[in-house]
Amino acid sequence: MNPPTETNQATDKSLEAMRYFSETYAKRTGTYFCSDLGVTAVVIEGLAKHKDDLGAPLCPCRHYEDKEAEVRATYWNCPCVPMRERKECHCMLFLTPDNPFVGTEQDISFDQIRETTSQY
Amino acid sequence: MSAAEAITDSTFKEEVLESPIPVLVDFWAPWCGPCRMVSPVVDKIAIQYEGQVKVVKVNTDDNPAVASQYGIRSIPTLMIFKDGQRVDMVVGAVPESTLATTLEKYL
Repeated sequence: MNPPTETNQATDKSLEAMRYFSETYAKRTGTYFCSDLGVTAVVIEGLAKHKDDLGAPLCPCRHYEDKEAEVRATYWNCPCVPMRERKECHCMLFLTPDNPFVGTEQDISFDQIRETTSQY
Repeated sequence: MSAAEAITDSTFKEEVLESPIPVLVDFWAPWCGPCRMVSPVVDKIAIQYEGQVKVVKVNTDDNPAVASQYGIRSIPTLMIFKDGQRVDMVVGAVPESTLATTLEKYL
Protein backbone atom coordinates (compact mmCIF):
# COMPACT_ATOMS: atom_id res chain seq x y z
CA MET A 1 0.00 0.00 0.00
CA ASN A 2 1.08 3.53 -0.70
CA PRO A 3 0.74 6.28 1.87
CA PRO A 4 -1.97 8.83 0.98
CA THR A 5 -0.56 11.68 -1.04
CA GLU A 6 -1.51 15.30 -1.22
CA THR A 7 -0.48 17.99 -3.62
CA ASN A 8 2.26 19.23 -1.30
CA GLN A 9 5.43 20.77 -2.58
CA ALA A 10 8.83 19.20 -2.05
CA THR A 11 11.56 20.63 0.17
CA ASP A 12 13.66 23.42 -1.37
CA LYS A 13 16.74 21.22 -1.13
CA SER A 14 15.26 18.36 -3.15
CA LEU A 15 13.67 20.71 -5.66
CA GLU A 16 17.00 22.41 -6.30
CA ALA A 17 18.73 19.03 -6.64
CA MET A 18 16.18 17.79 -9.20
CA ARG A 19 16.15 21.13 -11.02
CA TYR A 20 19.93 21.01 -11.42
CA PHE A 21 19.81 17.35 -12.45
CA SER A 22 17.15 18.10 -15.10
CA GLU A 23 19.17 20.91 -16.69
CA THR A 24 22.37 18.90 -16.71
CA TYR A 25 20.74 15.73 -18.01
CA ALA A 26 18.92 17.57 -20.83
CA LYS A 27 22.18 19.11 -22.00
CA ARG A 28 24.06 15.81 -21.74
CA THR A 29 21.46 13.90 -23.77
CA GLY A 30 20.64 16.62 -26.34
CA THR A 31 17.02 16.77 -25.20
CA TYR A 32 14.85 19.80 -24.45
CA PHE A 33 12.07 20.74 -22.05
CA CYS A 34 8.44 20.93 -23.14
CA SER A 35 7.31 24.08 -24.94
CA ASP A 36 4.94 24.49 -21.97
CA LEU A 37 7.41 24.92 -19.08
CA GLY A 38 4.51 24.44 -16.67
CA VAL A 39 4.68 20.73 -17.53
CA THR A 40 8.42 20.73 -16.80
CA ALA A 41 7.86 22.51 -13.47
CA VAL A 42 5.20 20.04 -12.30
CA VAL A 43 7.33 17.00 -13.17
CA ILE A 44 10.44 18.37 -11.42
CA GLU A 45 8.32 19.11 -8.32
CA GLY A 46 6.98 15.54 -8.50
CA LEU A 47 10.46 14.04 -8.75
CA ALA A 48 11.62 16.15 -5.79
CA LYS A 49 8.56 15.14 -3.76
CA HIS A 50 9.29 11.45 -4.37
CA LYS A 51 12.92 12.05 -3.42
CA ASP A 52 11.71 13.54 -0.12
CA ASP A 53 9.11 10.86 0.59
CA LEU A 54 10.80 7.76 -0.80
CA GLY A 55 14.50 8.59 -1.00
CA ALA A 56 14.60 8.38 -4.81
CA PRO A 57 13.12 10.39 -7.70
CA LEU A 58 10.54 7.83 -8.80
CA CYS A 59 8.70 8.84 -11.99
CA PRO A 60 5.56 10.86 -11.06
CA CYS A 61 3.75 9.82 -14.27
CA ARG A 62 3.14 6.19 -13.35
CA HIS A 63 0.76 4.37 -11.03
CA TYR A 64 2.45 1.90 -8.67
CA GLU A 65 0.96 -0.75 -6.40
CA ASP A 66 3.84 -0.19 -4.00
CA LYS A 67 6.05 2.86 -4.42
CA GLU A 68 8.74 1.69 -1.99
CA ALA A 69 9.15 -1.61 -3.85
CA GLU A 70 9.39 0.30 -7.15
CA VAL A 71 12.16 2.49 -5.77
CA ARG A 72 14.10 -0.65 -4.84
CA ALA A 73 13.49 -2.12 -8.30
CA THR A 74 15.07 1.12 -9.71
CA TYR A 75 13.52 0.77 -13.21
CA TRP A 76 11.35 3.92 -12.89
CA ASN A 77 13.82 6.00 -10.87
CA CYS A 78 14.65 9.08 -12.96
CA PRO A 79 16.34 8.86 -15.40
CA CYS A 80 14.37 5.66 -16.01
CA VAL A 81 15.50 2.74 -18.15
CA PRO A 82 13.41 3.75 -21.24
CA MET A 83 14.99 7.23 -21.10
CA ARG A 84 18.52 5.92 -20.68
CA GLU A 85 18.11 3.31 -23.41
CA ARG A 86 15.84 5.02 -25.96
CA LYS A 87 15.38 8.66 -24.83
CA GLU A 88 11.72 7.94 -24.09
CA CYS A 89 10.27 10.13 -21.35
CA HIS A 90 6.48 9.77 -21.24
CA CYS A 91 6.45 12.40 -18.47
CA MET A 92 7.55 14.92 -21.14
CA LEU A 93 10.46 16.24 -19.07
CA PHE A 94 13.15 15.35 -21.61
CA LEU A 95 11.95 15.63 -25.22
CA THR A 96 13.89 14.84 -28.37
CA PRO A 97 13.91 17.57 -31.08
CA ASP A 98 11.43 15.61 -33.25
CA ASN A 99 8.73 15.57 -30.53
CA PRO A 100 5.70 17.77 -31.40
CA PHE A 101 5.68 19.19 -27.85
CA VAL A 102 9.40 20.06 -27.74
CA GLY A 103 10.50 23.56 -26.73
CA THR A 104 13.86 25.31 -26.95
CA GLU A 105 14.88 25.44 -23.28
CA GLN A 106 17.33 23.34 -21.30
CA ASP A 107 17.22 25.67 -18.32
CA ILE A 108 14.51 26.42 -15.77
CA SER A 109 14.92 28.50 -12.61
CA PHE A 110 13.81 27.61 -9.10
CA ASP A 111 11.40 30.54 -9.13
CA GLN A 112 9.93 29.49 -12.48
CA ILE A 113 9.14 26.08 -11.03
CA ARG A 114 7.56 27.42 -7.85
CA GLU A 115 5.57 30.01 -9.77
CA THR A 116 3.74 27.14 -11.45
CA THR A 117 3.56 24.63 -8.63
CA SER A 118 2.39 27.13 -6.01
CA GLN A 119 -0.89 27.35 -7.94
CA TYR A 120 -1.83 23.79 -7.04
CA MET B 1 -13.86 24.76 -11.23
CA SER B 2 -13.44 21.60 -13.23
CA ALA B 3 -16.28 20.40 -15.44
CA ALA B 4 -15.40 16.80 -14.61
CA GLU B 5 -16.55 15.22 -11.37
CA ALA B 6 -14.01 13.61 -9.01
CA ILE B 7 -14.68 9.90 -8.54
CA THR B 8 -13.30 7.65 -5.79
CA ASP B 9 -12.80 3.92 -5.25
CA SER B 10 -16.14 3.83 -3.41
CA THR B 11 -18.19 5.75 -5.99
CA PHE B 12 -16.68 4.25 -9.16
CA LYS B 13 -19.23 1.44 -9.52
CA GLU B 14 -22.25 3.68 -9.20
CA GLU B 15 -20.93 6.67 -11.14
CA VAL B 16 -19.07 4.86 -13.93
CA LEU B 17 -20.11 1.22 -14.29
CA GLU B 18 -23.81 1.88 -13.71
CA SER B 19 -24.00 5.06 -15.78
CA PRO B 20 -26.76 5.03 -18.43
CA ILE B 21 -24.52 7.02 -20.82
CA PRO B 22 -20.86 6.44 -21.84
CA VAL B 23 -18.25 7.65 -19.37
CA LEU B 24 -14.82 9.13 -20.04
CA VAL B 25 -12.51 8.54 -17.07
CA ASP B 26 -9.33 10.61 -16.67
CA PHE B 27 -6.84 8.75 -14.45
CA TRP B 28 -4.37 11.33 -13.14
CA ALA B 29 -1.84 11.91 -10.36
CA PRO B 30 -0.91 15.13 -8.52
CA TRP B 31 2.60 15.86 -9.86
CA CYS B 32 2.25 14.39 -13.35
CA GLY B 33 3.13 17.04 -15.94
CA PRO B 34 1.23 15.65 -18.96
CA CYS B 35 -1.86 15.26 -16.74
CA ARG B 36 -1.93 19.05 -16.49
CA MET B 37 -2.05 19.23 -20.28
CA VAL B 38 -4.85 16.70 -20.60
CA SER B 39 -7.02 18.17 -17.86
CA PRO B 40 -8.26 21.24 -19.82
CA VAL B 41 -8.88 19.04 -22.87
CA VAL B 42 -11.02 16.72 -20.79
CA ASP B 43 -12.90 19.70 -19.32
CA LYS B 44 -13.68 20.98 -22.82
CA ILE B 45 -14.95 17.55 -23.86
CA ALA B 46 -17.19 17.51 -20.78
CA ILE B 47 -18.85 20.75 -21.86
CA GLN B 48 -18.98 19.88 -25.57
CA TYR B 49 -20.62 16.48 -25.00
CA GLU B 50 -22.77 17.41 -22.03
CA GLY B 51 -25.72 15.00 -21.75
CA GLN B 52 -24.12 12.53 -24.19
CA VAL B 53 -20.99 11.60 -22.25
CA LYS B 54 -20.24 11.75 -18.55
CA VAL B 55 -16.70 12.92 -17.79
CA VAL B 56 -15.00 12.06 -14.49
CA LYS B 57 -11.53 12.14 -12.93
CA VAL B 58 -9.80 9.62 -10.69
CA ASN B 59 -6.73 10.56 -8.62
CA THR B 60 -4.79 7.27 -8.80
CA ASP B 61 -2.74 8.01 -5.67
CA ASP B 62 -5.87 8.36 -3.54
CA ASN B 63 -7.86 5.62 -5.31
CA PRO B 64 -5.44 2.74 -5.87
CA ALA B 65 -8.12 0.01 -6.00
CA VAL B 66 -9.76 1.23 -9.21
CA ALA B 67 -6.39 2.13 -10.76
CA SER B 68 -5.06 -1.36 -10.06
CA GLN B 69 -8.24 -3.10 -11.16
CA TYR B 70 -7.96 -1.51 -14.60
CA GLY B 71 -4.20 -2.00 -14.81
CA ILE B 72 -3.30 1.69 -14.91
CA ARG B 73 0.46 2.10 -15.35
CA SER B 74 1.34 5.14 -17.43
CA ILE B 75 -0.40 8.36 -16.41
CA PRO B 76 -2.39 10.11 -17.74
CA THR B 77 -4.61 7.31 -19.04
CA LEU B 78 -8.06 8.08 -20.40
CA MET B 79 -10.58 5.23 -20.48
CA ILE B 80 -14.01 5.05 -22.04
CA PHE B 81 -16.68 2.93 -20.36
CA LYS B 82 -19.97 1.94 -21.90
CA ASP B 83 -22.63 -0.23 -20.24
CA GLY B 84 -20.22 -1.08 -17.44
CA GLN B 85 -17.45 -2.26 -19.77
CA ARG B 86 -14.17 -0.63 -20.69
CA VAL B 87 -14.40 -0.13 -24.46
CA ASP B 88 -11.37 2.04 -25.28
CA MET B 89 -8.27 3.66 -23.86
CA VAL B 90 -5.89 6.52 -24.73
CA VAL B 91 -2.52 6.81 -22.97
CA GLY B 92 -0.57 10.04 -22.61
CA ALA B 93 -1.23 13.64 -23.62
CA VAL B 94 -3.42 13.77 -26.74
CA PRO B 95 -4.96 16.62 -28.73
CA GLU B 96 -8.67 17.32 -28.31
CA SER B 97 -9.42 16.10 -31.85
CA THR B 98 -7.95 12.65 -31.15
CA LEU B 99 -9.98 12.28 -27.99
CA ALA B 100 -13.17 13.49 -29.68
CA THR B 101 -12.70 11.04 -32.58
CA THR B 102 -12.20 8.15 -30.16
CA LEU B 103 -15.24 9.18 -28.17
CA GLU B 104 -17.54 9.57 -31.20
CA LYS B 105 -17.28 5.82 -31.88
CA TYR B 106 -19.29 5.08 -28.74
CA LEU B 107 -22.08 7.64 -28.99
